Amino acid sequence: MSYLEIDNASVSFGPVSNRTHVLSDINLSVKENEFIAVIGFSGAGKSTLMSLLAGLQVPTTGEVRMNGKLIKEPGPDLGMMFQNYSLLPWLTVNENIRLAVKTVFPKLSKKEITEKIGHYVDMVKLSHAGDKLPHELSGGMRQRASLARTLSLDPKVLLLDEPLSALDALTRSELQDQILNIWESDKRTVVMITNDVDEAVLMADRIVPLTMGPKATLAEPYLVEMERPRERQTLNDHPQFKRLKSEITNYMMGISKDSRETRDDITPMPDIRPKDFSLPSAGIRLKNKVSQPTSAA
Amino acid sequence: MVCLPLNRGLLTPAEIKMKKTTLLALAGLSAASLLQAEQLDVEKDSLKFGFIKLTDCAPIVIAKEKGFFEAEGLSVEVIAQPNWKQLLDNVITGELDGAHMLSGQPIAATIGFGTKAHIVTPYTLDLNGNGITVSNEIWEGMQENDEKLQSDTPPHPITADSLKPIVDAAKDSGKKLPMGMVFPVSTHNYEIRYWLAAANINPGMYTSTDLKGFTGGDIELSTTPPPQMPATLESGKNVAYCVGEPWNQQAVAKGIGVPVVTNYDIWKNNPEKVFGVTKEWADENPNTLIAVTKALIKAGKWLDASEDGKLINREEACRILSQKNYVGADFDIIKNSMTGYFYFQKTDKREMPDFNVFFKYKASYPYYSDGVWFLTQMRRWGQITEPKPAEWYAETAKSVYLPDVYMKAAKMLIAEGSLTADEVPADDFDGYKPATSDFIDGISYDGKKPLEYLKSHKIGNKE
Amino acid sequence: MADTPKDKIKYGLLKFIDLSGFKVFDPPVRLAFGEDPKKQISEIGKFMILPIIFVSLCIFIWSAVAPTHKTKSGAAPTPKQVWGAWEDNSRFGEREDEKLEDYELSGEARTARITEVESRISELEAESLKLEEASTIAAEKGAAITAKQIAPLSAQLDELKAEIKTAKASRKIALENLAAKVAAGESPASSVLTLVQQQSETAEAEKEKRKILDDQIKEIRDNPPESIKAAQLAANKAADEIQHFKKRLDILNTSNKEVKKAALLAKVDTDEAILAASTDPSEIISKSKSIVTNTENAASVDEQRFAPTATIAWQTKRSLATVFVGFLIAAIVAIPVGIMCGLNKIVMACLTPIISIFRPVSPVVWLLIFQIVVGAFFLPDPAKHPLFTTLNQDYWFGWIKNPIAFLNTNPAMIFSACTVAMCALWPALVNTALGVSAIDKDHLNVARVLKLGFWARLFKIVIPSSLPLVFAGLRISLGVGWMVLIAAEALSSSDGLGKFVWDEYQNGSSQSFANIILACFIVGIIGFFLDRIMIILQRLVSFDDGSSTA
Repeated sequence: MSYLEIDNASVSFGPVSNRTHVLSDINLSVKENEFIAVIGFSGAGKSTLMSLLAGLQVPTTGEVRMNGKLIKEPGPDLGMMFQNYSLLPWLTVNENIRLAVKTVFPKLSKKEITEKIGHYVDMVKLSHAGDKLPHELSGGMRQRASLARTLSLDPKVLLLDEPLSALDALTRSELQDQILNIWESDKRTVVMITNDVDEAVLMADRIVPLTMGPKATLAEPYLVEMERPRERQTLNDHPQFKRLKSEITNYMMGISKDSRETRDDITPMPDIRPKDFSLPSAGIRLKNKVSQPTSAA
Repeated sequence: MVCLPLNRGLLTPAEIKMKKTTLLALAGLSAASLLQAEQLDVEKDSLKFGFIKLTDCAPIVIAKEKGFFEAEGLSVEVIAQPNWKQLLDNVITGELDGAHMLSGQPIAATIGFGTKAHIVTPYTLDLNGNGITVSNEIWEGMQENDEKLQSDTPPHPITADSLKPIVDAAKDSGKKLPMGMVFPVSTHNYEIRYWLAAANINPGMYTSTDLKGFTGGDIELSTTPPPQMPATLESGKNVAYCVGEPWNQQAVAKGIGVPVVTNYDIWKNNPEKVFGVTKEWADENPNTLIAVTKALIKAGKWLDASEDGKLINREEACRILSQKNYVGADFDIIKNSMTGYFYFQKTDKREMPDFNVFFKYKASYPYYSDGVWFLTQMRRWGQITEPKPAEWYAETAKSVYLPDVYMKAAKMLIAEGSLTADEVPADDFDGYKPATSDFIDGISYDGKKPLEYLKSHKIGNKE
Repeated sequence: MADTPKDKIKYGLLKFIDLSGFKVFDPPVRLAFGEDPKKQISEIGKFMILPIIFVSLCIFIWSAVAPTHKTKSGAAPTPKQVWGAWEDNSRFGEREDEKLEDYELSGEARTARITEVESRISELEAESLKLEEASTIAAEKGAAITAKQIAPLSAQLDELKAEIKTAKASRKIALENLAAKVAAGESPASSVLTLVQQQSETAEAEKEKRKILDDQIKEIRDNPPESIKAAQLAANKAADEIQHFKKRLDILNTSNKEVKKAALLAKVDTDEAILAASTDPSEIISKSKSIVTNTENAASVDEQRFAPTATIAWQTKRSLATVFVGFLIAAIVAIPVGIMCGLNKIVMACLTPIISIFRPVSPVVWLLIFQIVVGAFFLPDPAKHPLFTTLNQDYWFGWIKNPIAFLNTNPAMIFSACTVAMCALWPALVNTALGVSAIDKDHLNVARVLKLGFWARLFKIVIPSSLPLVFAGLRISLGVGWMVLIAAEALSSSDGLGKFVWDEYQNGSSQSFANIILACFIVGIIGFFLDRIMIILQRLVSFDDGSSTA
């Protein structure tokens, strides 16, 4: 039985005459304690999808349910970790978490609150920086603080909205490991949005591609059946990893190409290539510049 | 010795006895000097008086600085006011208890020309003290028109006769010469009008619709604040002005104009400023008003004290007035006019012992006849729009001037020995000065016959 | 590297410098701690020495140009004269303090002070006599010099006048002769016209010549030798000093608190003696009355205050108090209203027309309106209004010393404060509204996820997040308020720096211009420090590194 469920949801904005359809026919069901990765291009509507799950936005049509109950408004059960940290900049890391804990668990004593804060700060390895203000921290540390705050709400579902996309590669892999560790030691349902195929394959149980907008929808999911814990060092040689990676990459390139071809209202860019840097295939060009097709508009 | 704030209030007799002995021993002789003053039971002992930065505020300043107010048990603050209008408003709203006012102000306020409020005055602050200054250019023109003026020390009084051709010439070329005075109901306004009209120059009439007083005028006479007078003369905004000191002497010092006539020449010993309070205030604080009047009389007498015809206290007075919180002009400039001299030009220094009269000639008494004169001028120039019967003039003057208060104060001072009976009018004096023709045009004025006086002028309303 | 105590001091200092925005002092501090001396010296050279040189240059130019620029109040004052004005004002303030002290002195201290003052007077009098003599001599000498300079010119002028007179007479004769010839038909009529024209030209030329001489004489008269003025000033100063000490003696001897009390009590004593011996009923009544009055008066001497005089220090304090009150009113109104506007679009829509219409209105108009509207509350006798009796009494509840009694609060001050508030209101209001409505959406989402209630959201999210902009607005408000205040005080004659400027303008003394420029510096420097204080506050509430507020 699915724990978190999106049923035929669509989201559109604007007046009837000039309506922008962001998402349409979204169907997703997540099992309890499952780790789902949604992969898609920037601007495809990933964040909107996340808002639907978090209850920050109500679908225009269709329904979003958790545990069979309709999600109408946000709440601590749906622990959302925002793309740009959204730590309150006037509060220190500890104070940020304290605000969350105090609000969600108003009955806790002062001591218990402090303990809880300590626990989560420890969990993300930020104990040394608990009294620092967000602007004094690096991007990775901020993201960890944000994670600690989200975890401190003790949410039933963890919603991670591109949590790592703003970080450099090293910090990114370190945090990936941390998130995985936390998840494995304290299982819960996770929906993560990402634009990195490697990351998705490394972390998720299931990967759901989001097609290009407008009218973006979820495509057939890919099951990742590699055993856990997954070793980063050996993963690159894992046959399933290689297969999934290439399949998903190809699929993603395919939809991006489709979308470019179907949108003939856009003046095509002249297909000029630099003389001396001829490329082996169109695929690499697209992979390196993921957002290229839409940004041409 | 220090009284704790908690046990202020009345001292117990025992305390008084104890303190008396110690205090008297300490204070020694000096205490005796204070004993002669019989203090009135004043209703209000902390007062605020307003003044305009002109030397004729002297009695108020001196009464404060020389401790005459203090001797009456009054603690007085004197506060400079930005202009006559604000000063009057502050007196009316109660922000000020009383103020240095233009003679015309209490009268105009009482009859409702401008701001309406019943203002009364128990004390005339001074006589004379104004002058008419013309620009260098006009002075040259006047000299050309009159040979007698072509001298470093021309004969006085100078009439506006030599000015008339200049006014006419300007008028022929379609221009009315601009001139300045201080305030619509100020003595300056009436004096410059009188001087011009005496030479057949029409200074313009006020009407119910023309509150600027330009109607039918050969010139345009408008209001300018005294401190700006020299500047307007320099910039050509005015070609002549009538103002109190030190602004005439300043024109001489800066070489931008020539004072041609003082108001002593226009009307010998004319009343200039008064001390005004609201009727309400006077009714509520009768004893305070008498106490204030006493202090002012003493100050006036101090200012006019002389030995061998020399004013002995004026230099000190000038020094006090030149303090920045009072008049604040340079000591030398104030001294020029207040020590019995007047510079008409840098080369023309004349003795004018009566240029500022504060007390002698029984000057500080509030004469009904002075009030009537201002009323006749208001009527003459149309500020009072309708003809009035003679009784109205007398009644209005009586409702503004309070000789009774003055005489009460004077009697107390006589009893204290600081005044002699011959320095104030006799008991049966009716408040009217005898008829006089000490005017520049020689027309006689009798305060009891205002309507006849109006008829005797060529220019202006005649009834 | 571990922080040594020296490092701690260094970084503490640097942090403070950074916070207060005095970045200029950063290099000297670093230099003092020996950090990269070469770089610091170059920084000091660029950002301290060069500005100092530039300002000195400006002052130098000012000194050089000022005396050549003649104005209505004489030549423009030089920096030296302005400094002199500062000294004069300080002296004036000191003298007032001395008088106040003399007024309060009692017992031995008073007698000692009397001796001191008396000896000083006799010293000064001797000195003054000398200076007076010197001044007379200088005046005589100066007059002689002037006379000597003028004598040849004046002779020349007389000569010229005589010449002109004869020339005029001969021209007249020539004209008459010619006219006669024309009448006789010996000459054409046009020749008369030519002659008249020629003659009027000659007359004009003569007049011009005369004017040149006249002007020369006037010039000499207008500029007597400097020595006269200097000697006169010195004599004046001494006489001034004497007058001050005489006034002090007067206070010590007669108006001193203790003396006044003693005199009144002595009078009571005499009256009691008379009363005891009296047989005349009317005398008994009058003496009894007098005893009661004088006893009361003696008791109230302690409460009497020495009537204050407006010194520049006092006026500055009063201005600061007024601007503070006005600013406080503005903040109290602007912040809540601004928050409401930012939170609710309907409130914003309702208030927008009011804000747009009233914001550009001149402070002068507000002042006049407040004088009429607020003035109505204080009728009929402002001095007795509870607001002022409370603000001005020496002790509250009989024992708390009132720290603002010296300000002498009056309606004019309230009007000025209201005007300041009215003009300072808008920047704070608009900025607060902006700050509240521009809250990061993510922060609001956090509030939604945490399910914060309205008040929690307001105090935990909305206000903290908008504080930097609120303070930026308050900073502008204070600047506006300070600027408006000076105008309001000048117009409402509420004691303060504005009135100081206005009074100086009215005084029209030779010192006035220098005093006005002095006031300009004082206003500027205080404005600068007020702004700095606001910057520090603004930085303290900023959660980024505050670099945007420099």
